[in-house]
Amino acid sequence: MSRVASVALHTFKESVRERVLYNLIAFALLLIGAAILFGSISVGVEEIILINLGLSSISVFGLLMAIFIGIGLVSKEIERRTIYSILSKPVYRAEFIIGKYLGLLLTLAINTAIMTAGFYVALFYQKRSLSLDDLVVLEAVYFILLQLALVVGLALLFSCISTPILSAVFTFCLYIIGNLLNDIRWFGQETGSALVEKGTAVLYYLLPNFSNFNASAQVAHGESIPPYLLLANSLYALLYVGILLSASILIFEEREFR
Amino acid sequence: MMASDVPALRRIGGRKARWAILTASFLALVPLQYGIDVELRAHSKLEELLYVPSGKILRRLSLGHAGLLADIYWTRAVQYFGRKKLDRARRFDLLGPLLQITTDLDPQLVVAYRFGAIFLAEKPPGGAGQPEAALQLLRRGIVANPNYWRLWQDLGFIYYWDLKDYASAARVFHAGSERPGAQVWMKVLAASVAAEGGEIQASRLLWSEIYRQTENDQIRRSALDHLQALRAQEDLEHLNRLLWQFRQKAGHAASSLQDVVAAGFLPSIPRDPSGEPYKVAPDGRAGLSPHSQIDLRLLQ
Repeated sequence: MSRVASVALHTFKESVRERVLYNLIAFALLLIGAAILFGSISVGVEEIILINLGLSSISVFGLLMAIFIGIGLVSKEIERRTIYSILSKPVYRAEFIIGKYLGLLLTLAINTAIMTAGFYVALFYQKRSLSLDDLVVLEAVYFILLQLALVVGLALLFSCISTPILSAVFTFCLYIIGNLLNDIRWFGQETGSALVEKGTAVLYYLLPNFSNFNASAQVAHGESIPPYLLLANSLYALLYVGILLSASILIFEEREFR
Repeated sequence: MMASDVPALRRIGGRKARWAILTASFLALVPLQYGIDVELRAHSKLEELLYVPSGKILRRLSLGHAGLLADIYWTRAVQYFGRKKLDRARRFDLLGPLLQITTDLDPQLVVAYRFGAIFLAEKPPGGAGQPEAALQLLRRGIVANPNYWRLWQDLGFIYYWDLKDYASAARVFHAGSERPGAQVWMKVLAASVAAEGGEIQASRLLWSEIYRQTENDQIRRSALDHLQALRAQEDLEHLNRLLWQFRQKAGHAASSLQDVVAAGFLPSIPRDPSGEPYKVAPDGRAGLSPHSQIDLRLLQ
């Protein structure tokens, strides 16, 4: 366990050193701040715009961080040949993968917390007060974190089998497909072909369904997410991340490094 | 100056020249962009174009950011409406589609139904003059937000004010008054419209509520204009009654309101809500001063 923690901590420290990370956080905070100005040119939706733009910024910049740092988690170690010195130490490959995953997740959680704090500062500036009702936004932030946990899992998996660029492309494509799964399934049902319908149904259950975690519009209207959905989505993300990590470990354990 | 300083000075001079060229190039972009803008404005038919006319497709393309996209489209609708109104345009072709896309992207964005319906229903140049489209928008809003009673209020208002369909207005106000959280005055409104549809009292009640509730300056201004026009109309009706009484008593028509004051029917010449004194028009009826800010056409 302590070995996983030290890999995770090392990954976290390494991620924090990435200059791109600070640029992304700064840009996200800037965008959240700009939402106040954006709201002033609209009518009656100032707070809704701030919440939607804030959550979208947290989600999009979190996604960029997850992909661009996640794709290099393993492949960079191989490229720099640092993998040899790591694996020569008493660290199991599974521990290495889990540690890498948790390290990046920790980085993303802290970045998300910073962006969320920035969002609440902007909300306070706009409303001149904050109430308990405003905490509903945290539910959507939690869903964004679950989404990012899945994206990091995917990026890590591809990082074990492919180059960083291809890993980025695969992860991003799966993110888009995962957002369109409901439509893909509906399309399969509409074709009238049993084969296509079954094929799209398989894809629907097999691929990560990112649309499960889209709750921004709902919380922007002050609606809370039902407890069942909070629990089911947490379990879904946990299970899916478990599958992705297991697959990554299996692939990584079979790789030979010479 | 030593001979060894010459290359260093040349280097500095070269660097300065490069910065100067760079700055000049940036400055050259300004007239170039200006020229492009002028040319594009000359062919600005593109402005009246929606690249993706379907909210449902946009929702799919939004990758979970439909709420933000709805806000952007709503802002675009507001900006479009404001620009057209400033231009005193008679056509608002994009307004309906922009509102449709906005509400497809976020069916819970009630502000888009409420203000959108007012933008659509009001007669040009104040609005698009499409009350039927406004009704359709509000009906979709009610389906998406069945417990939001204010959409019933807005629906009834369009029936009452723009379509002069008082029976439907009363029915809708009554249905809205049954929604959870509906204010008691909705029942009063339903009864008032059913009893005296088209009468000033009911109209005043409606516009007063709009004036009281709205947070939008443009709509508050419009409500105030309507309330002032209603008061002026009421004043004019009262003055016409006095002019008729004066004629009965004096045996001839009053040439000005001063005659009516002198005859003791009025303590002084009354002023309209914009502060201008009322006049007697050439046809012998009471009217507004040519300097009056009141627009009675709003009540037509």
